[in-house]
Amino acid sequence: MTSLIEDPLLWILLVVLVAAVFAVLRARRTNLALRRTKKELETGLGHAQGRIDQLQGHIASLGTQHSGDLADVRADAESSTKAVLKSAMGTLQSLAEEQQLLLDGLLQKYGNDTEVLADLMSVDHTGSQFSRRAKGISVLCGGWLGRREGVATVYDVARSAQGRIKDFNRVSIHAQASVAVTSKAVEPVAMVLAELLDNATTYSAPGTPVEVNIQAVPTGVCFIVDDAGLGMDQETKDRAAALLSADGPVDITGLGDPPRFGFAVCGMLAARYGFAVSVGSVSPYGGVRAVIRVPESLLAAEAVTPAEPVRETADQGRESAPQRLAPVPVGPSHVVGTTTGGLPKRRRRQGPISVVPAPQETAGADQQTSESAGEVTASRLGAFARGTQLGRTTNTTEGPDHQ
Amino acid sequence: MTTPGEEAPVTSDFVRSYVITGGRSLPSSDELALHTLVTLAPERTLPLGAGPEVRAIWELCAGGYLSVAEVAGHLGLPVGVARLLLTDLAEQGHLLRRAEPPRAQNVDRATLEKVLNGLQSLIG
Repeated sequence: MTSLIEDPLLWILLVVLVAAVFAVLRARRTNLALRRTKKELETGLGHAQGRIDQLQGHIASLGTQHSGDLADVRADAESSTKAVLKSAMGTLQSLAEEQQLLLDGLLQKYGNDTEVLADLMSVDHTGSQFSRRAKGISVLCGGWLGRREGVATVYDVARSAQGRIKDFNRVSIHAQASVAVTSKAVEPVAMVLAELLDNATTYSAPGTPVEVNIQAVPTGVCFIVDDAGLGMDQETKDRAAALLSADGPVDITGLGDPPRFGFAVCGMLAARYGFAVSVGSVSPYGGVRAVIRVPESLLAAEAVTPAEPVRETADQGRESAPQRLAPVPVGPSHVVGTTTGGLPKRRRRQGPISVVPAPQETAGADQQTSESAGEVTASRLGAFARGTQLGRTTNTTEGPDHQ
Repeated sequence: MTTPGEEAPVTSDFVRSYVITGGRSLPSSDELALHTLVTLAPERTLPLGAGPEVRAIWELCAGGYLSVAEVAGHLGLPVGVARLLLTDLAEQGHLLRRAEPPRAQNVDRATLEKVLNGLQSLIG
């Protein structure tokens, strides 16, 4: 037994055991302390998480409020810009209209002077393009085009549109329908067609033709514009489709720089007046085909005579039918024999002098023999003048010189 | 939005004259002077694809001689534009032209009085 007590190994074992117990106890304490700390930390973390969520919510609401405010400010800025532009464009529109009226007068006044007329026409052409731009911007800003008084044939609508673009002589018009467009739709349809023609001529090679075909369809009339350009890429097609189907105000600041108004104007007018515009199909020439479909409700009930309907009706009231000169037969005069000298004898023409109508006063003077000598002389002189004029006019050149 | 009734009326010519001429250069006035008389040649048919203005000229000139100035007046077109359309028709052989009467020369009063006296002594 003593040997056991004296055994150092036993003592060592004891010491180790005691140390182990101590170590275990200490570890347990540390563990407990750590668990507590962990719990505390987890609670703190939870709090922090909640705070973060709260803050994020706050940020989100601030963001929404900010974008809402921004949209409001933008809308305000947009509407005040539009209001200013609309009024400015209105002034330009009426000035352009005034200029065109003035030019109408000048074209008539200098109609016989070829050179002046040609110059006036080029002024008129730039004026028309200017007017179209002003009208386009005005329409986008909520303005109006101005109203035509009378209906117009689809052919005239197309020609009016043709006159509003730069390269108008590249455009050819083929009308397979002869209906008329109601007065209220005349300007908008011409305006939209002009924008489509402008696109067609701008985005196709110079010198290539642009065709307008006008066809009657069961639901109205279609203006079909075909160009021989490169066509549109998908992005442009999407943009066009979006602008053409827009049903509401258009953001004019989003139209690029330089702004491309065309499709926006088309979409706006089509929605306002109730006709349809589509682009994006391919023309037979490989370019773009754009179509305006004007419904029956915008077509005049009865077709008008094709030739300048408004003017004709205005003139009929105060002007009589054109006073024509009857064709004077120019034949060989009747040779009734020969004189003693061998010259042919001719009978005088018996027909009435129809070329120069006699004034009524002189006709009366001839019948009344009691007229004063002066009047008789006047009538004789008149007859003399008529006679010489007849002699001159019968010296005619019939038919064209080229034949 | 406002009603269409608010729109200001537009009264300028709807189809501009340079579109009617197709941007072509205008013929000089020597070709067809203002007083030149034109009428349709007999037995002609309206060319295919004739525009409204050509159809109107066709109707106007069908009934007899009419001066270039009158044709332009009735169409409401500048004379130069009407002249271009008439020249086209004439070149296609659809129109007959008669030269304008030559301008009366100004004779002085003394000569006229002499003629008057002579005539009075002749006629009595």
